[in-house]
Amino acid sequence: MGQRKKLTRRDLLKNSAVAAGTLALAGPVGNWAYAQGSDTIRVGVIGCGGRGTGAAHDCFNSSKGVEIVALADAFGDRLGGLKNHFKVPDNRCFTGLDGYKQLLALDDINMVILATPPGFRPQQLKAAVDAGKNIFMEKPVATCPAGIKMVLEASAKAREKGLAIVCGTQRRHEPRYVETMKRIHDGAIGEIVSAQCYWNQGGLWVNRRQPGQADVDWQIRNWLYFTWISGDHIVEQHVHNIDVINWAFKDVQPEQVRGQGGRQWRTGPEYGNIFDHFGVEFFYPGDVRTISMCRQIDGTTTNVSERVVGTKGTSDCAGRIDGENAWRYEGPNPNPYVEEHKNLIASIRSGEPLNEGERIANSTLCAIMGRESAYARQQFKRDWFLARCTLNYLPPEDMKLGDSHEVGPVPVPGKYKLPTA
Amino acid sequence: MASSENKKARITAAGGMAAITAAAAQVAHAQHTGKIRIGLLGCGGRGNGALRQCLEADPGVEVIALADLFESQVRKTRDGIARDGKFKDRVKIDDDHMFWGFDCHEKIARCEADLLLMATAPAFRGQQMLAAVKAGKHIFTEKPVATDPAGCRQVMEASRIAKEKGLAIVCGTQRRHELGRVELMKRIHDGAIGELVGGQCYWYGGGIWYRGYVQGMSEMEWQCHNWYHFTWLSGDQICEQHIHNIDVMNWCFDGPPVKFTAVGGRGWRNHEAQAKDVCAKLNNGSTEGWEKYAGDIWDHVFAELEYPNGARCLSFSGHSPSNFDSNGEKIVGSKGTSNCRSSITGENAWRYTGPNVDGMRQEHIDLIQSIRKGEPLNEGQRIAESTLTAIGARMAAYTGRTFSWNWLLNASKLDLVPKDIKPGPGLFHPIATGRDALI
Repeated sequence: MGQRKKLTRRDLLKNSAVAAGTLALAGPVGNWAYAQGSDTIRVGVIGCGGRGTGAAHDCFNSSKGVEIVALADAFGDRLGGLKNHFKVPDNRCFTGLDGYKQLLALDDINMVILATPPGFRPQQLKAAVDAGKNIFMEKPVATCPAGIKMVLEASAKAREKGLAIVCGTQRRHEPRYVETMKRIHDGAIGEIVSAQCYWNQGGLWVNRRQPGQADVDWQIRNWLYFTWISGDHIVEQHVHNIDVINWAFKDVQPEQVRGQGGRQWRTGPEYGNIFDHFGVEFFYPGDVRTISMCRQIDGTTTNVSERVVGTKGTSDCAGRIDGENAWRYEGPNPNPYVEEHKNLIASIRSGEPLNEGERIANSTLCAIMGRESAYARQQFKRDWFLARCTLNYLPPEDMKLGDSHEVGPVPVPGKYKLPTA
Repeated sequence: MASSENKKARITAAGGMAAITAAAAQVAHAQHTGKIRIGLLGCGGRGNGALRQCLEADPGVEVIALADLFESQVRKTRDGIARDGKFKDRVKIDDDHMFWGFDCHEKIARCEADLLLMATAPAFRGQQMLAAVKAGKHIFTEKPVATDPAGCRQVMEASRIAKEKGLAIVCGTQRRHELGRVELMKRIHDGAIGELVGGQCYWYGGGIWYRGYVQGMSEMEWQCHNWYHFTWLSGDQICEQHIHNIDVMNWCFDGPPVKFTAVGGRGWRNHEAQAKDVCAKLNNGSTEGWEKYAGDIWDHVFAELEYPNGARCLSFSGHSPSNFDSNGEKIVGSKGTSNCRSSITGENAWRYTGPNVDGMRQEHIDLIQSIRKGEPLNEGQRIAESTLTAIGARMAAYTGRTFSWNWLLNASKLDLVPKDIKPGPGLFHPIATGRDALI
């Protein structure tokens, strides 16, 4: 309906002014980009690991008038870099699993960066939207269907409130991709009849369990390797490429999925319960079948890319079209990690906030579907999965460091069962 | 008339040793007064099936020899076929034409059969085919025909010799002999779906037999008895089973792929109880080190085959509990698609409505007719290429490496099958890791 009204700068200022008086009672209304009558973007960073730190710097460097003013992380030792660099005072640094709540309660913050492990994203996104903040969030945005639903709801709410959500699928902000996709969507390669995407690489960092370390502490420190918190590497990493294929299909979603995978090389207990390879087939409308392949095994052939095949040509989605309408991108290649923040902040300032929440929720859902299909060796439809799968990895609201937290075994076909209602 | 004489003249003029040898070979068969004598090498389930299908293909076919690693299989097969009233008077297997042991393929190659049917474990096919063509036998061979590139090269060599000598080689990839598919492929090759730009092929099943220890067998004999579970013997499931579908992909593209990328592993196969039993029986009751008896093949491989025009096709195979409804193929062109079996969709939609035949019978009919006509079919090079395609996909998955067809065909040194195999200790390899060395 007409919910997506364009907010003018005057509206924003007015909303801010109104809200300023009623905050305690009604909570924030409208976009807070210009809180306190200034157009400074005052950013709180939730999740100050490698990606959060990178995103904070990228955000700061992307536009004028950005300040990094508050930090939260489960662990105090992760705050140091940003704290020192941006001179964030102690009373604006928060730790523990609920530190983000304290950060979100700060009135002067009008944007947050959500860069904790993906298992925490849905609840943190919801809280950030409720608190009236604009949002930059890292991908993926959930690890289970329950989380996806929460993200979809929060994104809809953000839209109502005129809050921006941009997600760290930076290819969507990379001119060579954007220009290529325009052409694909305009029919440069004809109708899409096949596609492939890959994230095949070596291993990543691993944090072995320390003596006496509690379950929750170790799992968060070593989050890549636990499905509940990372989503497994198909979700955590390969979602980038899956998102590009969805993009090529104009964000029409695959109808069905069939996957396989396993854990052949990376078998030690330090690697938690995730797989080291997946091969998934997505079925887009019209029985267009696409390949998704991802692997994290040291010493193997690397390939991180996408390819779409049409009736009139092919494209690497990233600046190259071959066939009847051959074309090469020759424009600038700005740093996409900076670009996404630039676009986000420009959208807030122009009063036309970007909202990528639904889109990244859908792409994350695809990756989750691929994972679950491989875990269970079960082929299923997207509609069925959304309606029937009750898998819920959302951490309990009262989870805290030091807690015990059991995780499931490495999935084995025939034993692993998709929970359904 | 004139043109037929010219043709004759040209053939004569062709002279050369090859032509003379070929002619001689055909004369030799003509002397068999309509009878074609066959020998069966490999007396398991598939061998027994092929034997019957071959006998049914032509009333002039007689079976005169049997060979298998195990005497019991040979005897059981003779008793079974002799009792079958359908083949009365055409079963003429003398006691001295029953061969067993690891050298049985050499013995049967020396008998007076015209045609050998080969249905042992695939590991040995290369040497069996070489021995057979050197002895002037026509060949029907089950798929796949090797488990490593070295074996594929042997088959290519055997195929070359067969061509020189005018011998037939037909392979048990029966889809190539199904009338509907043949008609369909003609259309695909004529451009009915445009340029081929993608495709998928699948064989994902529920599992496979595991054969326990049989009293009296050495470890190696037991391993050959339970051959499916060892890559050096079976080639793994992608090679042993999924080759059918991979062969259809190659058929669509009229040749093998140029590049391989794959992932896979073994997460489900678990023969612990059976393997411990075998272990105990072979090791004086000890179950220590039972794992190797559980086999080394994987249970899933997801491979991408890239064809010369750049088309990337999926090969999806494995065994485990699943709800996958997936045994078949699909080919995607710029103007349409096909199920590779009976129909085309798109601009040139078409459906096969002609008669259907059982490809597993038809392949024998086609083989025998080709021998009788003196125009022997030779599918040797083709099946060697399809086998090597499956092996390439397996190697890409085992090693995690992407490589080219040219490297695989010409440079890979992988040679898994021992040359002098005999009763005694088995040959066990660790389960592939996903980053094995690329050999």
